[in-house]
Amino acid sequence: MFFLQLRNELWKLAGKKRTYIGFVMFLLAQNIIALVFRFTHASRPLRRMLEGNGYAAEPFVSALTIASIMLIPLAAFLLPLYVALIGGDLVAKEAEDGTLRMILARPISRWRLLLVKWLAGGLFSVALVAALGGFGLAFARLYFPWSSLFVWMPEQGIFSIFAPGAGLWHYTAAHLMLVTEAGSIMGLAFMFSCFNVKPAAATILALSLVFVSFILEHIPYFKEYQNWFFTYHLHLWQLMFASQTPWWRVGESLSLLLGFNATFLAVGATAFQVRDIKS
Amino acid sequence: MIELHGVTKRFGARYALAGVELTVPRGEVFGLLGHNGAGKSTAIGLMLGQVWPTRGAVRVCGWDVMRHRQKALERVGAIFETPAFYDYLSGWANLEILSHYTARTSRGRIGEVLAWVGLSGREGNAVRTYSHGMRARLALAQALLPRPELLILDEPGDGLDPEGLHELRLTILRLHRELGLTLLLSSHLLNEVEQLCTRIAVLRQGRKVFEGRLAEVGAAGNLVRLRVGDFAAAVRELQASRLIAGARDGRWVSLAPGVGSEVVVRRLVELGMPVFEIARAERTLEEFYLDLMKGNAPGSSAGNDPARPA
Repeated sequence: MFFLQLRNELWKLAGKKRTYIGFVMFLLAQNIIALVFRFTHASRPLRRMLEGNGYAAEPFVSALTIASIMLIPLAAFLLPLYVALIGGDLVAKEAEDGTLRMILARPISRWRLLLVKWLAGGLFSVALVAALGGFGLAFARLYFPWSSLFVWMPEQGIFSIFAPGAGLWHYTAAHLMLVTEAGSIMGLAFMFSCFNVKPAAATILALSLVFVSFILEHIPYFKEYQNWFFTYHLHLWQLMFASQTPWWRVGESLSLLLGFNATFLAVGATAFQVRDIKS
Repeated sequence: MIELHGVTKRFGARYALAGVELTVPRGEVFGLLGHNGAGKSTAIGLMLGQVWPTRGAVRVCGWDVMRHRQKALERVGAIFETPAFYDYLSGWANLEILSHYTARTSRGRIGEVLAWVGLSGREGNAVRTYSHGMRARLALAQALLPRPELLILDEPGDGLDPEGLHELRLTILRLHRELGLTLLLSSHLLNEVEQLCTRIAVLRQGRKVFEGRLAEVGAAGNLVRLRVGDFAAAVRELQASRLIAGARDGRWVSLAPGVGSEVVVRRLVELGMPVFEIARAERTLEEFYLDLMKGNAPGSSAGNDPARPA
C-alpha cells in the first residue's frame, strides 16, 4: 500500500503543469548559456585563466567544462526556486484546493500521508537534479567537444583540471551532492506547507530563509561563523570538483543537512498533526 | 454508528460546538440541520478525525476517532459540499488515488461503482471537463469505493439544479434501500431533509437544540384547527370550560394540557354549536425549524443542556 500511495503522489505531481516549469526553464537556460559560450567571446576569460596558469586552453573548453559552468548559476538560483515551488505545494495546495479534506476522510494517518508526500518531493528533487545534469551535458556536447574538465570556484578555493573520465565522475558526484541541496530546500518548503498557509507563502518563506542565510553567510562579519549557516552546507556539491575531495567536510555537511531535514520533517509533521483540517 | 459525547470545540474564543451529545443509530437516514456557522461542518470534521475536539469524545463505528482513526474510518465514506478533485487527472485516476488511501482497490470494483453512479464511459475524461452533477456523482463514487457502512454527506446538494437535487434524493434513497447504509446528511435544504431523513438533530450556535424522529416534528403540540359556525363564541365557551389554553387567527386553538380533541367536540355539540372540522395541526419541518431558531422549545424530545461556555 505504501508504494501504491507513493506512486499516486508521483502521479499527482506528474499530472500538474507547474511540475514541468523547472525542467523547461533548465532546457532554455542551458541552451542559451551553451549558445552564448559557443558564438560569443564568453569563453575568453576562461581561456586567459588557463593560459595564465600554463595550460593550453583548447582541450579544456569542452562539453564538461561548459556544463559545469552552467551548473553554478542554475544551482544557486533556479534549482532552489523550483524545488521550493513543489515543496510548498505538496500539502498547502491540497489544503487550498480541498482535496486534503477528501484524503483525510479516509483511514490514512496524517504522519503516513506526510511521509509519502515528502518522499514524492524527494524523488522530484532527484529527477530535477538529474535533468539539470543530463540536459546540461547534452546541450554542451552539441556545441563543444568531449574532452577534459576545468573548474574554477574561487570561493571554495577550487582550481581543478581532470581528464574526461575523471571529469565525468566529478561532474556526476557533484550532481549526487546537489540532490542534498534540492532535497533540503524542498524539505524546508514542505515544512512550511504543513502549516495553515497558502502554497505561495510556504514557497516564499522557504526561499526567504535560504536567501537570508546566503546573504548573512557572505557578510564579512560572519566569515568565521560560516559553518553555522544552512546555505554553507548546501554548497556541498561544489566540493566534489576539488582535486582532492575534502571528505571530512563533505561528511560534516551531510550529517548537518541530515539533521536539518529531520528537523524540518519533525516540525512540519507536528504542525500538521495538531492542526484542524477545515473547508 | 456515530456518538458524540459532551463534545466542545473552540476556535480561539469562539465556541463552534458546546457540549454536544449526539447519537446516530445504525440504519437511519439522519439529518443534521442548522444555519451556516451552526457547527455542522465542525461536527462532521470531528467525526472524520479532521478536527480535534477541545473536550469530549467522538466514536464512529464503535471506535474512538481520535485514538483509533484508521479503525473508525475503515467503513466510512464522505462527501463534502463542492467536492474537490485533481481536475487535471481523469475520473478513474481520481478514484484510484483516493481509494488507495483506504485499501487496495481492484479495477473491477472501480468499474462497478462507476456503473452504479452512472459515470461509465466518462471515467477516462479529465475531471475539469465534468459538469457539477458529474462531479457530485464522482464524489459519491469515491465515497462508495471502500464499501462503507456509514456515509457522511456534508451539504451534498449545494450548487445542484432542481434536476440534480432530484437525482441526489433518489440516489440517497437507493443507498439506504439497496445498500443498507447509515447516512448522515448535513444540510440546510429542509425540503430534502424532510423527504429523506428518519431522524434529525438541529444545531444552533454550536448547541444541539433538538434531536428526535422526524415524525415527532410534525406533531405541533396541542394546536388544533377548528372550523365552527361562530369561532369567537366557541372559543369563549371552551375557555370558560377550561378546555383550551388559547386561540389565534380565527381557526387555531391550543388544547389545555390533558384535553383531547374529542372532549372539545363533545362540549361544542352539547352547546349546540355545529363543528365542521377539527384536526390536529401538522407542522412542516420548516415551521418547526424556524420555531427552534427563534428559540422556542420543541414539543418533543429535548436537546442536550450543556454547561454554558464562559
